[in-house]
Amino acid sequence: MDESRSRLRIFIALIAVVLGILALRLGKLQIVERSDHTGKSAANAVREWRVQPPRGRFYDRNGVLMVDNEPRYSLFVTPRYFDRETIPLLARLVRLPDSLITQRFEAAAKHPFQRTILQGDVTFEELSRVLEQRHNLPGIDYEITQKRRYLTDARMTHALGYVREISDGTLQAFRDQGYVRGDPFGQGGLERQYEQSVRGVPGSDFKMINIKGQVVAEYLDGREDRPASNGLDLNLSIDADLQAYAESLFVGKRGGVIAIDPNTGEVLAMHSAPDFDLELFTHRLDPQVWDSIQTHVDKPLFNRVTQSQFMPGSTFKPLIAMLALSTGTIDENDTVFCGGGHPLGGGNFYKCLAKHGNLTVEEAVMHSCNTFFFEMMRRIDVNSLNRMATAFGFGNKPFLDIAASEVATGNVPDSVYYNRLFPRGWTQGTVMNLGVGQGEGEVTLIQLVRYLSVIANGGTLVTPHLVRSMTDPITGEETFPDVPPTTKLDLNETYLKIIREGMRRVTAEKSYWLDIPGIPSMAKTGSAQNTRSDEDDSVFIMAAPIENPQIAVAVLVENSGWGSTSAGPIGSFMIERYLKGHIEWTPLRRSILQQMLNTRSAPLTQRTNLD
Amino acid sequence: MRKKYLNLDPISLFAWLALVGTGLLAIYSATHGPSAEYIDSAEAGNFESQLVWFGICVFGLVVALLLPVRFFQSMAFPVYGLTILLLVVALLFGREINGAKSWLFFGPMSLQVSEVAKVGTVLAVAQVVGMRRPKTMDLRFAFILLGIILLPASLIVLQNDTGTALVFFGLIPIVLFWSGLDMNLLLLMISPAVAGYFAVVSMPVAILFCVAFVGFMWWKTRDKRIGVVSAIMTGGVVALANVALTLVLSDYQVQRILSFTDPGAEQFRSNVGFHQVNSMAAIGSGGWTGKGFLQGTQTQGGYVFEQSTDFIFSVIGEESGFFGSLLVLILFAVLLVRLLQLGANIKHPFAVLVAAGASGIYLIHIFINIGMATSLLPVIGIPLPFISYGGSALLANSALFAIVLSMHLKKDDFSIYGY
Repeated sequence: MDESRSRLRIFIALIAVVLGILALRLGKLQIVERSDHTGKSAANAVREWRVQPPRGRFYDRNGVLMVDNEPRYSLFVTPRYFDRETIPLLARLVRLPDSLITQRFEAAAKHPFQRTILQGDVTFEELSRVLEQRHNLPGIDYEITQKRRYLTDARMTHALGYVREISDGTLQAFRDQGYVRGDPFGQGGLERQYEQSVRGVPGSDFKMINIKGQVVAEYLDGREDRPASNGLDLNLSIDADLQAYAESLFVGKRGGVIAIDPNTGEVLAMHSAPDFDLELFTHRLDPQVWDSIQTHVDKPLFNRVTQSQFMPGSTFKPLIAMLALSTGTIDENDTVFCGGGHPLGGGNFYKCLAKHGNLTVEEAVMHSCNTFFFEMMRRIDVNSLNRMATAFGFGNKPFLDIAASEVATGNVPDSVYYNRLFPRGWTQGTVMNLGVGQGEGEVTLIQLVRYLSVIANGGTLVTPHLVRSMTDPITGEETFPDVPPTTKLDLNETYLKIIREGMRRVTAEKSYWLDIPGIPSMAKTGSAQNTRSDEDDSVFIMAAPIENPQIAVAVLVENSGWGSTSAGPIGSFMIERYLKGHIEWTPLRRSILQQMLNTRSAPLTQRTNLD
Repeated sequence: MRKKYLNLDPISLFAWLALVGTGLLAIYSATHGPSAEYIDSAEAGNFESQLVWFGICVFGLVVALLLPVRFFQSMAFPVYGLTILLLVVALLFGREINGAKSWLFFGPMSLQVSEVAKVGTVLAVAQVVGMRRPKTMDLRFAFILLGIILLPASLIVLQNDTGTALVFFGLIPIVLFWSGLDMNLLLLMISPAVAGYFAVVSMPVAILFCVAFVGFMWWKTRDKRIGVVSAIMTGGVVALANVALTLVLSDYQVQRILSFTDPGAEQFRSNVGFHQVNSMAAIGSGGWTGKGFLQGTQTQGGYVFEQSTDFIFSVIGEESGFFGSLLVLILFAVLLVRLLQLGANIKHPFAVLVAAGASGIYLIHIFINIGMATSLLPVIGIPLPFISYGGSALLANSALFAIVLSMHLKKDDFSIYGY
């Protein structure tokens, strides 16, 4: 009996040892190495789907919805789990040739466990058909992302920018802000500038994947999921109607226009021609199309509002007039005689367009008398001009809340500049060209419209910007973007009034076809030499109504001649459309519009500074 | 009469019910989870099917409890004969499932004959030991026992069901142990298996084991012959394993044997190692408390191969964690130990041997099955008793349990026939 008792004990000990070994092994796996295995199991069985929140929508100043989102459905394949036999079925469901699916699958099959896009942009119907058959389609799943939808006639190409999948380079820089591969990222314009605001916070959706790569269920019934929070909606200062109208006026032209509220700096419209259709970027972009945009001779990617710098031509004259009055170079009643040119250089070198006779400063602005402004610059030190022009915002990189690869600064020369340019010396004659906006000075459209606004609003330098506020679509909470404040310039109101009067008479008397019936305005035309073509650039600035300005416009039409015939009508009609909501047609205005629409920018004949 | 029923052992009955219940839950989770619609139709009905088998087992248990103790003894040889016959029939006419030709079909019912053969073999062995005069152990007698076990085992090897055959080989030392074989001989018998295992896992450990074992045996017996034999038994096996792995076996076989040592390695992962990698990931990721019933990502994603049958432990490990796994091991310990105690209480060699045989068979299954699921052992396809899906196995294992329970219930009857 003792013998059998001891054998019983030995056997019980054996049971204890065997089960003990198993318990230790389990402890090792489940406790010591737990995190290892948890990682492994999560890596294959649980997949995180990034939930992209709706990107912020864009509204115009009147609450018109300009840009929102629509769903975009894409099919993905995980080659390891895919069954080649199902290619014909899949091809039939999404209406693609078998060969294309085979080809894409084989390309993807190099990375068998990597989920690869098989077809972006399938229709909802196609997706539904695939989902009905998903039991027969192992390794196939889908994703819903968002794409931009443009709802108005306004294209606003350069101001809006577009959205693409984040590039590897950008991802490197923005990874710590929570970006991952595949996230959308604004490219240029408002989309890039306000990326952090309109993007929202992406969420996560955890799903369980079975061994065949199929999504089988919500992981933990969705308890781990993090909801996405919407991006902020942008309330733009843009007037969608004015914007679309401006775009329609640029048929066959290269150039740009910016219209702002001269009191606040809010941009009402901005357009650079030629542009391109942002719709292209909501689909898989054909590389050939992208190539043609990039290499087009007219440079559609170039934003002529912010990046183009050109000589201001006669639109610079009001500044010279202001300078002359402010420095006491001339009194408001003093006159200068114009005999068809400035006597310096024998009267042939510094030409005027007419023999204006004796002109006051106000008349000189109206008539755009070259002789008068040559004389002013003969009398004024170039550094005084530099100081005043700089105060008006020239020669500085202007703020604008759209991302652009490079915003031009323009150039306002001073004596240092000329010393460098002409080491052997220069004379006042060199500087006199600046008086008529030719020579070494260069400006941009934004600078012109700010400068115009200073004169129009009585001395305040505004900051152009496109976003008035941002609204959280859920809470309705409104936030305001950081815009540099406006600056009150120290200018004599009497002098400003004289300048304004001169500019009023431009539309009232000289270029009367640019006058808006019933609305007194102020304007200045210009034509400027350039290196692109023999044909002059047409430049125009205009603000109205003169007593209480609501809109200021700066227009550039490249290589199309006189300011008063191509850029001028664009500005004039835009202002009329904005202030009245319609155009009041007179035979004169009709023929002016017709003539302007028929005007084309001369083809580029030389390599340009755009290259 | 009333007193008799007090002998119905509640502890082992509870352990049995708890284990079968655990198995049903695990099978349910593997087939009826949130992703049930995606699993193979072949597995989809396993839970319902197992439930039916459970019903059959309960019925069988009740019947067994009603049978007189003598019945089991008298049926031992006929049952053994019948199982040998069935094994032969299966070998000739059976159907092959998973490579093993050990299945017979009776209409909708399928029977894995090799499972049933365990019951017949244990009964026959117990009967032979029971008929013998106590405490005699000669070589002839040992060879008879060996023959009783090796006959079905070799038939099962022929059926290509090596895993189940292994259980029969494992039964040999257990039976000899309980029939009174000299402990030293027994140690010598087991030592080659241990040495072989270490030879596969790690050669230095194997050599260390050989030296330690020979030293221990010599120290214990002070008998040079035993020392030499033990050296041959262990060292020989280690050498043999080495030769087999490097020269004799084909690459495929070597890989299959070696894969458990590092199932995640490049050369094994695409093979059987894949199952063990996923099984370990499932069990390991369960942590202390598991991911919860029907919440195991590996289980519900169907990552583990044969997860309602041979790899059922991955479901338990993943969804109930270390605590749940430990609880299952404790239930097994309770059942196994309790069965031995019941057998000992009956005080009849037949009963002792049936109880010990049952307990031993369960132990071998548990060790191999959980060892496989945790990569402690190579992939050997045998079920986890009471828990894995499989009617024949549940029936066979429960039959052994029922017989012990029934004999204990009527243990007083043994005294009439006893010595």
